[in-house]
Amino acid sequence: MTDRRPGTAGDPQIVFDGVGVTYPNGYRGLSDISLTIPAGQMVGVVGLSGAGKSTFVRTINGLVTATEGSLTVNGRDVTTARGKQLRAVRSDIGMVFQGFNLTGRTTVLNNVLMGRLYSAPWWRTLLGAWKSDDVELAMDALTRVEIVQKAYTRASELSGGQQQRVGIARALAQQPSIILADEPVASLDPPTSHVVMEHLRRINGELGVTVITNLHFLDLARKYSDRLLGLRGGHVVFDGTGADADETVFESIYGRSLTGEDVLDATPNLETS
Amino acid sequence: MTTPTAIPAGKAVPPPRPSRLWVRAGWTAVLLVVLAAFWRVNIDWSQLSDFVPSLFHYLRLMFCPPAWSQTSAAFSATILSVQMAWIGSILGILISFPLSFLAARNVVPVWVRLPVRLVLAILRAVPEVVIAILILSVTGLTAWTGALALGIGSIGTLGKWGYESFESVSGGPLEAARATGGSRLAVIRWGLWPQAQPEVLAFWLYRFEISVRSSAILGLIGAGGIGKMLSDNTQYQNWNVVGILLIVVVVVTMIIDQISAVLRQRLITGRWALVGYGARRKALTPTGLA
Amino acid sequence: MSDVPAQPAQPRAARPPRPRRGATPWVIGIVLAAITVWAARGVQIDIPAIWQNFSNASGTLMQLFQPDYGFFPQTLSAIEETLMMAVIATAIGSLGSVPLAFLASRATNPSRALLAAIRFLNNVIRAVPDLLYAAVFVAVVGTGALSGVLALFFFNIGILVKLVSESLDGLDRGPQEAALAAGGTWFAADRVSMLPSVAPSFASQVLYTFEVNIRASTVIGLVGAGGLGVLIDNVRTFYHYHYLSLIILEILVLVLVVETASSMLRKQLAR
Ligand SMILES: Nc1ncnc2c1ncn2[C@@H]1O[C@H](COP(=O)(O)OP(=O)(O)OP(=O)(O)O)[C@@H](O)[C@H]1O
Ligand SMILES: [Mg+2]
Repeated sequence: MTDRRPGTAGDPQIVFDGVGVTYPNGYRGLSDISLTIPAGQMVGVVGLSGAGKSTFVRTINGLVTATEGSLTVNGRDVTTARGKQLRAVRSDIGMVFQGFNLTGRTTVLNNVLMGRLYSAPWWRTLLGAWKSDDVELAMDALTRVEIVQKAYTRASELSGGQQQRVGIARALAQQPSIILADEPVASLDPPTSHVVMEHLRRINGELGVTVITNLHFLDLARKYSDRLLGLRGGHVVFDGTGADADETVFESIYGRSLTGEDVLDATPNLETS
Repeated sequence: MTTPTAIPAGKAVPPPRPSRLWVRAGWTAVLLVVLAAFWRVNIDWSQLSDFVPSLFHYLRLMFCPPAWSQTSAAFSATILSVQMAWIGSILGILISFPLSFLAARNVVPVWVRLPVRLVLAILRAVPEVVIAILILSVTGLTAWTGALALGIGSIGTLGKWGYESFESVSGGPLEAARATGGSRLAVIRWGLWPQAQPEVLAFWLYRFEISVRSSAILGLIGAGGIGKMLSDNTQYQNWNVVGILLIVVVVVTMIIDQISAVLRQRLITGRWALVGYGARRKALTPTGLA
Repeated sequence: MSDVPAQPAQPRAARPPRPRRGATPWVIGIVLAAITVWAARGVQIDIPAIWQNFSNASGTLMQLFQPDYGFFPQTLSAIEETLMMAVIATAIGSLGSVPLAFLASRATNPSRALLAAIRFLNNVIRAVPDLLYAAVFVAVVGTGALSGVLALFFFNIGILVKLVSESLDGLDRGPQEAALAAGGTWFAADRVSMLPSVAPSFASQVLYTFEVNIRASTVIGLVGAGGLGVLIDNVRTFYHYHYLSLIILEILVLVLVVETASSMLRKQLAR
């Protein structure tokens, strides 16, 4: 297997070229997105609710199909991929969800092993007869997010922050070159949010995995990303670093000035973060 | 801002009583139907006046005392009924399990789902005894064909409970499995099944309880077991044998119900507990089933 | 497989031991298999017999696929009787179940001993299948609709008392407490607080019971208790399979129509 890991940091990895998404009901979710995300970057995506953040990240692994333009990930065209090809693209992209999306009734380890579904033969997945290599990978992933002690616990018995770390471990078990995180901390309290974001940053730093995170809070996004994308009405209205994102940029993204509700650590002052 | 209107002094005017015309019309219709049924039905209600004394008369014949000597015969007839129910349930489970996947909205497209659901609906609508009569008229009367009938009779309900529990799982884990690049099979196995498994197993047990009751019925039309012994003995008015049969049926059924309820409780909640009425959680009984 | 993460974040020793499930899954598997083998021997499973019988009986099967619609007028009175038995039994069964259900719920019956007695009695009632009731009542009051109505009545009591008392158990007891606090008796408190709260689910359960009754009343005639079942028994004894298949078709339509109507009504009630 070739590109399980990112190539040289900085190589173009995700290339949007005129990408647009029109939902089946006719709603335009994304319009005319053209940008390149290099391997190893930590990207934060911000915007109002309904701006198209989820649509943006879900287009990358084909959970939402781009209806216009072309989108390539690691050199493979996602927009036209179907069936096995699409699954190959997805296996290279881990995903972390706002609601964790764990199966509460089964063990943490089983949840993380879901990350191996693409590479394991069908009869192994059916019987749950995982290869010891796969179990090893899952354990490593759990160790990395410091929750390996809970490997045999039922997922529903964990706290929210712990569950989200399991969610990250599941993405890691895929040995992905990219991790997409759709509001990974939206259902967590502030200290736990920082723990989870720290884990994502460590994974980005130590493993060189590209991490794209949708975030509701601007201060979190600025703190935990190399690059900030601002979405509004399905368009990219800002593309730059956190330091560039001043009050006027904020207004262009949110259509109003900053308030306490837009930051996690309650002072509405961008400079403190 | 509107200024509050001054409250007029004097008699309070109650709001008009809301119109309940439809509700009343509905109740009137129900009442009329019931009255019509009482009036039309070919029953001589005066017979009821000696029903209670004659019921007591027969109860005395049955239970004072029951034919204890027949206990072991009654017991082995009941055991045969239970065996029929067990085999029938296993057959029903084997056939209905794949069908319930093929009928679930989150597994297959409409054109697969609809025909499968239609078949399940038809199997559910025909009473088991009728299915048994059909099968028995083709295959002859044995305990084995009785079990077959029970199996086919249970496909409809088992299939429905199955697809309903599959459809009620949360979509998140399914999406997560899809996002890892898992195949359709993998998504079902690791996204859907772990969520639905406890309910589905509990339904299997519950269906076995129902089949135990139905198997007693099958005997009445000739499939052997407790029902056969019962119809033979009512025919010849051996009331004290009927008495012991009823005792054995009730005791065995209640024991099986209790064991099964405890196991179902354990499956759903992960705890062992004796199950009374109140302790039984709603989830344990499929919607609209007694 | 390519390079696994270079530096495992912690040494392997930090992992939890795999919990031992011990022999439990094996024991369960063996017990289930043993029961199955035992039951299979009891009913004398004979798979080849299925095919043989079906090929012998292809004539019968062909007849079953050709219902004789000319028989329809003669079935009308039996259909009517079936419907009437179901209506009457549901009506008296639901009235009769109300007091018993209140006595069988821990929310409405303060006496634990009476509660246990009523529940036990109802479990006994529920353990007897509908056709057994019918068979016994046919012996007691003779063949005909009366024995059918009586059989269905007991059957309904069993279902309704269980379902309604469970609904009562699940109700919010606040209003009842308020009524008791205002100095009401248990009877008065249950009447003004619990009865109205349980009414919608009671109505829905009565409808459900009606569905079950329709299905049951089509067959209890097999032992002589009136309705379509009597007809089934007749045509079956004389091997009139064209008639039999018409009756089955009628049952199918009857049950599907009643179930669809009733489940629509129940959805309305649930809102
Ligand atoms: N499956 C769909 N069909 C039709 N419209 C959709 C669908 N999914 C999303 N949309 C619409 O697309 C727009 C963008 O949705 P998206 O979920 O990407 O927003 P978001 O920025 O992630 O918002 P939030 O912060 O609330 O998650 C919304 O107006 C939404 O209503
Ligand atoms: Mg979103």
